[in-house]
Amino acid sequence: MSTVLDQIEQQIAKLSTKAVKKNTGNIRTIADGVAKIDGLSDVMYNEMVAFPGGAIGIALNLEESEVGCVILGDVSKLKEGDEVQTTGKLLSVPVGKALLGRVVDALGNPVDGKGPIDSKETYPVERIAPGIMARKSVNQPLFTGIMAIDSMIPIGRGQRELIIGDRGTGKTTIAIDTIINQAKINKVGIAGGDAKFRPVYSIYVAIGQKSSNIVRTVAALEAVGALEFTIIVAATAADNPANQYIAPYSGAAIGEWFMENGMDALIVFDDLSKHAVAYRQISLILKRPSGREAYPGDVFYLHSRLLERAARLDGKGSLTALPIIETLAGDVSAYIPTNVISITDGQIFLETDLFNQGIRPAVSVGLSVSRVGSSAQIKATKQVGGKLKGELAQFRELAAFAQFGSDLDAKTKGQLDRGARIVELFKQPAFSPSPIELQVSVLFAMQKGFFDPIDAKKVVAAAADMKNFFTTRKDALLTEIRTKAALDKDIEAKLQAACEEWKSGYTA
Amino acid sequence: MAAAAKQAQQLARQLFKLSVVDGAVSADRVAGVLAYVEKHASSNSVLVLKAYHRLVAVELAKSEARVEHAGMVAAPALTAIAEAMSKKYGRAIVATARPNPALLAGIRVRVGDDVYESSVAGQLAALSLSV
Repeated sequence: MSTVLDQIEQQIAKLSTKAVKKNTGNIRTIADGVAKIDGLSDVMYNEMVAFPGGAIGIALNLEESEVGCVILGDVSKLKEGDEVQTTGKLLSVPVGKALLGRVVDALGNPVDGKGPIDSKETYPVERIAPGIMARKSVNQPLFTGIMAIDSMIPIGRGQRELIIGDRGTGKTTIAIDTIINQAKINKVGIAGGDAKFRPVYSIYVAIGQKSSNIVRTVAALEAVGALEFTIIVAATAADNPANQYIAPYSGAAIGEWFMENGMDALIVFDDLSKHAVAYRQISLILKRPSGREAYPGDVFYLHSRLLERAARLDGKGSLTALPIIETLAGDVSAYIPTNVISITDGQIFLETDLFNQGIRPAVSVGLSVSRVGSSAQIKATKQVGGKLKGELAQFRELAAFAQFGSDLDAKTKGQLDRGARIVELFKQPAFSPSPIELQVSVLFAMQKGFFDPIDAKKVVAAAADMKNFFTTRKDALLTEIRTKAALDKDIEAKLQAACEEWKSGYTA
Repeated sequence: MAAAAKQAQQLARQLFKLSVVDGAVSADRVAGVLAYVEKHASSNSVLVLKAYHRLVAVELAKSEARVEHAGMVAAPALTAIAEAMSKKYGRAIVATARPNPALLAGIRVRVGDDVYESSVAGQLAALSLSV
């Protein structure tokens, strides 16, 4: 008996004194979050490298005589000559439902002061996007709650839809509205107890933004109870470029967990212009050759490999991406905007002029498009809003011509009046997304001419009153529209009757 | 400046290749290289010699097992380490001992960039990182 115990003890002793092999190097230079390291002869591309004091780096440049690493974390205590070790691991972040309702940094560490995150799994930050065979075409809707978008530029689960516009045109607001709308739908769906209901979890990745903006976003989500379905990955303007560079990939890894486990997720990258700038900074310090606008040659791949990770998988879930790009003076033909436009499945273009005219959301109907979303749009919306995009485009064209002459025929005048009413109808305040059934009801009223007798300037108030009427008095009808997702003759008759009832009681 | 550094690097690499015979740095060849650089002195010479020094130092480190130890290390142990490392890396490796009380107990063997840690200090460092 004792011999057996001795044997086990010897084995333990052997194991506990076993030498651990490490591959090491020394910092040669360090600047702006990037270190050049001598040694590290066994390091792999994109491998995690351990710096003294717990800082982590990623090996990005493997050269003949040195290794270029970006450092994630505090670089203030690092100095020339410090020893660096390889870890044999790729950079990973915690994933799972435990992250919901939390604010994390680019490495998945909590930064909201709510204690540690009890996550059982980690996913590598850099992953190859799903292949062709694993994918399924986009045909399930993802409602933003914004009438102008859901009716004219519909988004489907697994789609990549770019939100593009100048600064201060409401890009982030559209993304936050969409997140809030998912939370609202989730709450209704979960409360309804439908076994087939698939909630959409949201991930908001803030890249290079002011901390105060992120605080405001968190507060807005918390105020409407949307934070419990949302994960916020924050790489603020105060974080070093390496953290800003890695944050969207971390967010994508977190989203992929939901997708791989049969759930649906939405990810917002706010914004990829700042991401490209952070990557340019790193690349210039790493002395990589620079190209147009001093961006490195692989800046297209930087975004294509990120956005390709958003997909709808066959037999699994989906990851919908809403990347945001900030333009300068409305120039969509700049380098980064054209790159991302070509990668995504459409774009929502926001115009400064429209925003300043008080048309909010300032969606430019002519320049916005959804390439795959129409197959995901529900039948009810198609029935009431199928011709809206054309009508609005016609209105804009006529409005431009009408500026030159005062004599207009009755038909043109009618078209202009109708267009002006549609524009007013699409105005929507921030952080108040509308359920799709309510959108369908209001668009039905517009289609049937219930807003025609109302002065164009009073359409917004009338629409708000109508929404209130439907929400408080026609709940059963709204539920029917939501569940059937199409307008049959019976529903149309009920809608007509409800609109007439509203009209009889409404005074402008 | 950048072009000069690149040129110096290239020349240093060529000189280094000339200094290696049968996979090991030859003292005679190194002396020959130094004589050549001295004879053909240019404004780049310092840069070339610095780059050359680094390449030779890296190569020499691969042929040396530096054994840091806290306490005594017997000569047979050093020989055993040298033999084991020579077998592992497939080239002749010489073991040299260096006392390092900071290890507290145990040894640390360094061959080129590879470090084999079997010291109390190393285990404590790993423990503090994992906590």
